[in-house]
Amino acid sequence: MAALLGVFAWQSAPVWTQEGLGYITGTKWFYRQHEFGALPLIYGSMMVSAVALVLAGPLGVGAAICIAEYLPSRARFAVKIPIELLAGIPSVVYGLLGALLLRDWVYKTFANFEPLSGDTLLTAGILLGIMLLPTIVTLTDDALRAVPAAQRRAGRALGLTQAEVIWHISLPQAQRGIGAAFLLALGRALGETVAVFLVVGRQDNMLPSNLFSLEPLLAAGQTLTSKLGGSEINIAYGDPLHWGAMMGLGLLLLSLTVGSALVGTLKRSGDA
Amino acid sequence: MRKAKDVFCAALTGTCLLTVLGIVGGLVFAILSRGWPALRLSFFTEQIRLVGAAGGIFWNLVGTGILLGTALLASAPIAVGLALLGRVYLRSERARRWLRVGLYTANGLPSIVFGLFGFIVFVKWCGWGKSWLAGGLVLAMCMLPTVTICLMERIAAVPARYIHAAAALGLSEAQIVWSVLLKQSWGGLVVGSLLGLARAAGETAPIMFTATIFAGATLPKGIVESPVLTLPYHIFTLAQDSFAPGVDAKLWGSALVLLGLVFSMSLAALPSRLLHHEEAHV
Repeated sequence: MAALLGVFAWQSAPVWTQEGLGYITGTKWFYRQHEFGALPLIYGSMMVSAVALVLAGPLGVGAAICIAEYLPSRARFAVKIPIELLAGIPSVVYGLLGALLLRDWVYKTFANFEPLSGDTLLTAGILLGIMLLPTIVTLTDDALRAVPAAQRRAGRALGLTQAEVIWHISLPQAQRGIGAAFLLALGRALGETVAVFLVVGRQDNMLPSNLFSLEPLLAAGQTLTSKLGGSEINIAYGDPLHWGAMMGLGLLLLSLTVGSALVGTLKRSGDA
Repeated sequence: MRKAKDVFCAALTGTCLLTVLGIVGGLVFAILSRGWPALRLSFFTEQIRLVGAAGGIFWNLVGTGILLGTALLASAPIAVGLALLGRVYLRSERARRWLRVGLYTANGLPSIVFGLFGFIVFVKWCGWGKSWLAGGLVLAMCMLPTVTICLMERIAAVPARYIHAAAALGLSEAQIVWSVLLKQSWGGLVVGSLLGLARAAGETAPIMFTATIFAGATLPKGIVESPVLTLPYHIFTLAQDSFAPGVDAKLWGSALVLLGLVFSMSLAALPSRLLHHEEAHV
């Protein structure tokens, strides 16, 4: 892992010396003019991941509560197998589903807002949300089951309803674990490449004037990963600055995902 | 009021679960219903023709097989080494913990990062160009954490009295490792490898710059500049511009085959995982 970080840091060195911090805050990316600003890409990644987490979070936690608190253990296994399978679907197959089915659905459903095409940040977010479900369900379920059953029985014996036991006993104790689940899911969302690549539209320099407006969700965008997965990699090699800029994106992506995965893992094992 | 809240809570979470299960069912049905008509024997035995609109996926299957085989051979020995390091040879609890945390973190790294690493190191520095070996090694890096974690969990589950008995019989540490620990836990290596391969089989991002092209490759004849065709990249390329009517059916067929391949590997690993209550979070 150190080797990974090292290689990316070293390979991206030209762009850091040339552009400095302006590389992260710059809003324009025109490689022909040697302008490299990564902010629109960071924005794209964040928006797509946020949509995914907002959609998958409540749904996944709800499903996990049902599995951990209500279902008997036999039914638990029966339900967890399909969820494991969902986790196993390759991202390129998700991408195919997104490109051939979800794209049209988004285009028709949001026709009132007149999107230019079905390739939008929202499409990528919905697709990612489905991909994140198994991570959130599995990890939340684990966190809830780690709460001792004796405490639940004590709660029931005191006359709490099952809903009150969940709300006042299970969830507060599983909080860290659920937090970890969201962080690990965020890491996955930021790093997912091919599925996002196929539906995000890959339009450069799409930074909205108003960061808090939801409108740009229905426009095409570009994420860190969709940029890295594109053919610009092949063009960039050989031009130190351009290549450095691409590898800088890799370094950004790596730091973001290592960060969330590391904190998530530490939280899960109970050290952070 | 409390009663109503209780019922509401149960209904709400139940709906969530049903929605999730509905999504799984819907996805599998969507792929199955569209891909099934394309599956004929000739689909598996012919090579692609007319840019994917006709013919089959024979060389794609072969290529994916070559990559997976390479990844398996490359990752297994390293996984054994790392697992033994984590369970036997590292004495300090701190170091062991950091190895574990590192493995879990590495498991969460995006696969494109491995792909770019492979592109820099194997394709450019080693000068291999697009090569099956580069792809296999990159996939091995992707699956290594999964395999190692599974094996470590199984080694940890070997009862301590086995080790004490072996030590009492005068076996050296190497003998204990070889004929007690590894003999008892090799199933973990198999299960971990199955899970890792299931993930690696569907990966596109790590191999698209390092190992695979869309058409025109058969069996590799060397290492340098010897790419292979693969199933995921086939789907990836066609999904970007599948407008020819003939392509669609073949495309869903390929997706179904890939899905079948992945599911059969993770299902093969399932009984043993349930038996050992392992929840390798992959």
